[in-house]
Amino acid sequence: MSGRKAKNIVGLSLLNLIFIILCIIALLPIIYALSLSLSGDSGALSSHFSLLPSKISLANYQAILTEKPFLQWLSNSLQLSVATMVISIGFGVLAAYACSRFRFRGRRTMLMMLLLLNAFPQILSMFAIFRLFKDMNLIDSKIGLVIIYAGTMCIFSIWNMKGYFDTIPVEIEEASKIDGASDMKLLFKIVLPLARPAIIVTSVMVLIFVWNEYLFATTFMLNEHSYTLAGGLYQLQSSDYSRSWPMFSAAAILVSIPILIIFFCIQKYMVSGLTAGGVKG
Amino acid sequence: MKNKKKLMPWLFSFPSLILIALIIIFPILYTGYISFTNMNLYHWFDFKMIGFDNYIRALLKLDSGFLMALVVTVLWTVLNMILQVIAAYFIALGLNHKGLKLSRVYKTLLMFPWAMPAYVSILLWRVGMFNTEFGLLNQILKTFGLSEINFLSTNVPAFISCMVLNLWMALPFMIMMIDGAMQSIDQSYYESAKLDGAGFFARNKYITIPAIKPIMAPAVIMTTFTTFKQFDIVYLLTRQKGALTGATFQTILTYSHENAFVSNNYGLSSAVSIIIFIIIILFSLYTNRSLKEENQ
Repeated sequence: MSGRKAKNIVGLSLLNLIFIILCIIALLPIIYALSLSLSGDSGALSSHFSLLPSKISLANYQAILTEKPFLQWLSNSLQLSVATMVISIGFGVLAAYACSRFRFRGRRTMLMMLLLLNAFPQILSMFAIFRLFKDMNLIDSKIGLVIIYAGTMCIFSIWNMKGYFDTIPVEIEEASKIDGASDMKLLFKIVLPLARPAIIVTSVMVLIFVWNEYLFATTFMLNEHSYTLAGGLYQLQSSDYSRSWPMFSAAAILVSIPILIIFFCIQKYMVSGLTAGGVKG
Repeated sequence: MKNKKKLMPWLFSFPSLILIALIIIFPILYTGYISFTNMNLYHWFDFKMIGFDNYIRALLKLDSGFLMALVVTVLWTVLNMILQVIAAYFIALGLNHKGLKLSRVYKTLLMFPWAMPAYVSILLWRVGMFNTEFGLLNQILKTFGLSEINFLSTNVPAFISCMVLNLWMALPFMIMMIDGAMQSIDQSYYESAKLDGAGFFARNKYITIPAIKPIMAPAVIMTTFTTFKQFDIVYLLTRQKGALTGATFQTILTYSHENAFVSNNYGLSSAVSIIIFIIIILFSLYTNRSLKEENQ
């Protein structure tokens, strides 16, 4: 018996060791960037490496905030995210409600079409959009980007929220219908408050999407002051990155922190939300 | 009254449908139109219809590079998915080991790569890990007295580097899915299997894998799609505008993007886009059907 116990302890220690190594591998790039960003000088580029900065300073953070239009980028990203969120959720809620509650001709086709379109990578029609926008003078314009993002995220919102609406029992609505509530009143007074968790999660996912999108942002925004965070960071590393690499890592950390916080707050709902909306047809 | 009931859902869907038609469907149709023309930088306005020439060039001429890119993409998807599912399976198995007290801590730490914005992760890896001068990997090699490796300058090492990065970014989601599926398995199966003398291998083969299969199927299919469509890693690591590293392999998405925005072969790029779109539609129709059959 004690031999078996000893074997168990060895096995468990080994398992713990493996997981500690895995966690270190998972966090290594992030720790390295954090330590470089805190080192304060570009001496980190010297040949000998260490994961801990010899002195801690916020110079790189100060530099990115004052020398580069980081705050401008932040404000651009925020404006784009909020506008996209309002449009895609506002439109999406209505359509999701219709698809969940009404049985109308063309409903299944519409849902299938949306699913197929969702599988279509937007990069593939990027040139077509670019050309159309060029003719309409929408290049370098926030409105243009918001329309693209909202259109893309609208499909996702419809599917994601429809899945949740389906789980709300219809009886609640029927009861208030008997009491004489109109369709609109039903939606705003009864269904939306009940669906609040789904709406919040979907909104946050839209927000994260816009925050993380770089390809359209860098292709359609051509001027340094209209860059989003993604565009700004992209440009920061693609121009002389060897010189600004510690500054870039500071910016990368700054950009990631809000996303990390949000992510860990809604993580629980994220998996179920993704799988519920993802495949079921 | 009856008419109003019929109109209602369309009224509700109208704003979304208009937006989607404008920004998703119309550009796809327009891409289809461009794919039949000879539009390029010199024919920006005076392009003309050339029929199926672009499709023929993409599909039948080996030197167009599309078929090679398609092979690379399939290889990329298959290799990534195999590695990812196997690695995630064993990690999740470890996390579910009863004696592992710190499993919640490990789980949270392992989630970080998933939570980071993708482009930030990729750029961090490009400069922080793979860079020849101050990338961490080469600094580690140097401290051990080994010679530096130029990770991104030739095709095979660059492809492997992209795969390592993709694993780093995608494993957390897979681990989380498999872990969730494993936790829903009734423990009594294992207890009776143990009494019957089933070993580690038999328990996995006859209990764990069959039990998590229905939950895993949608997750694996979803991830296969995202891996197939993966653009950011290959583009940002090796093919950024003005910062090519020397590796020349392409996936079909980087190929289409390059023809549209670098070499300005708009017609060819659009034809390639339409071909990819058709592949994706067929693939998703097929998987949707097989998923539904499995659920019944």
